[in-house]
Amino acid sequence: MHSAATIAGTSASEDAIVARGLVKRFGSVAALDGLSLRVARGSCFGLLGPNGAGKTTTVSILATLARADEGSASVLGRDVVRERAGVRRELGLVFQEPTLDPELAAREQLDLHGRLYHLESRRARVGEALALAGLEADADRPVRGFSGGMKRRLELVRGLLHRPRILFLDEPTLGLDVAARAGIWEELRRLRRTGDLTLFLTTHSMEEADALCDGLAIVDRGRVVAEGSPEGLKAALGGDVVVLSLERAEKKEEVRAQLGALSGVTRVTHEDVGGAGVFRIVVANGPQRLPELLYAARPFGVREVQLHRPTLEHVFLHHTGHPFELGGRELEGAP
Amino acid sequence: MSRLVADGATIFLREWLRYRRDRAYWVGQLAFPLVVVAFIGFGLNGVVRLPTGVDYTAHLASGVLALLVGSAGVGGGMTLIQDRESGFLRALLVAPVSRSSIVLGKIASRVVASLVLVLVLVAILATFTAVGLPHPAAMLLSVIAVTTAFVALGVALASQLRSLESFRLLAGLVTVPIYFLSGIFYPVSTLPLATRWLAYANPLTYGVDLFRFGLVGVHELPLLPSAALLVLLTLAATTGSILIFDRRAAR
Repeated sequence: MHSAATIAGTSASEDAIVARGLVKRFGSVAALDGLSLRVARGSCFGLLGPNGAGKTTTVSILATLARADEGSASVLGRDVVRERAGVRRELGLVFQEPTLDPELAAREQLDLHGRLYHLESRRARVGEALALAGLEADADRPVRGFSGGMKRRLELVRGLLHRPRILFLDEPTLGLDVAARAGIWEELRRLRRTGDLTLFLTTHSMEEADALCDGLAIVDRGRVVAEGSPEGLKAALGGDVVVLSLERAEKKEEVRAQLGALSGVTRVTHEDVGGAGVFRIVVANGPQRLPELLYAARPFGVREVQLHRPTLEHVFLHHTGHPFELGGRELEGAP
Repeated sequence: MSRLVADGATIFLREWLRYRRDRAYWVGQLAFPLVVVAFIGFGLNGVVRLPTGVDYTAHLASGVLALLVGSAGVGGGMTLIQDRESGFLRALLVAPVSRSSIVLGKIASRVVASLVLVLVLVAILATFTAVGLPHPAAMLLSVIAVTTAFVALGVALASQLRSLESFRLLAGLVTVPIYFLSGIFYPVSTLPLATRWLAYANPLTYGVDLFRFGLVGVHELPLLPSAALLVLLTLAATTGSILIFDRRAAR
């Protein structure tokens, strides 16, 4: 009894976001169909899924902009419906679409934001934010003339101006070019290292989820189909695959015994291809194990080596039974 | 309460920053009444004798300024559509700011913008027409009531419509009869019985009458009931626009 209470207490304080059984219907379509998730405080959590999976709807509900038809959610222990005002003060939001006033200058947008959140030492913070976004030279120009990357950087620093404890980012790099995208990633990584800010981002980019997030929920058709760290999700598929092509194919039993005994190796299979023995070794954490594997295989004459790592693409396919690009609602009703 | 006022002031500031830059808006708003008075007022002045005894140029000038105030109010409602299109509305809605303060800030910014315009135009018109400012309080009450009522109308339209084009079209369709039947161009007492009663049912008639009393010193309708009606109209329009914005426009 006592330990149960302690566990419940601990989990409540360590979860930044808890959602239970969220359902949201638009007409006859269920955008969310019983979505549940937990986000640890101070983590970078990614909601990964194809277009139409329900990512933006989830963010809208968690950020108090929309109400779920069923289920409940809390942010930093506060209910998103009953304690709306309290939740809003704690969160920053960077939307998928621009939400800047095109007629106002960058400095004015930030100043207004500071006023809306009743910030003290507003001028100093606005100055810092402009510097952070690299927009000092353009601070007094209307945002209308900004490039996509500049706007997104301004949105990002505006979302952070009031020092929220949770920052929601809905597709933060959608529509940006490679350089601008790299800039945003770098900024998000830097944020991760400072303070106990929790990042909650939605993305349909596997690469982005893999690069930024330490916790992931894969959503498809309004439900979470898999949850875990990117590494864990990929490892759950059985780990990495090392393919070794060896000269002395006749010693296959010996090779299998020796390689199979190495730590991390779960399976070794073999086939003969044109006189050489090709061995497929399933191993956890392939890049680290590779030197050991090669050392053990050296007496058998290594001709070629390949390392295959499972991607989140494989994870998605594994859990939904359909490839990522075909996911979502576009698929339904298709011939 | 203090938060409501502070947040309303922030919204006011934002609207003001926008108008300040919009030179076309100010030039257009200043030029329109002067053009109407110069090109129509002077022409009709020799033809029309009003039962109120006012010189027609002064009647028309005060009426056109009231029309200006009304259309500025509708424009205030229209900014909601612009804010939705630019996405800025979402940033506002996720901030810890009450919906009421957003609406109040928008109304207040339009009231102040209209007051500035009216004062500047009265100063110009006073040099060549009988327009002045004999009763500033009547003018002030009228500007507040007319602006608030038309912002409410604009908010109601904006909550139903998604595009600026359809807003402009529908707003014109709704407001033109209201303007025509309000005594802007002629005294309502000159109308035939049926349309005269329509004019009496039109709240803007009382706003225009009090406004004209403020600028020319002449009125057709009893002052105190008009004033009381305008106060009620202001309160009802404010409440109405907040409710509509909260229920519909804020989605």
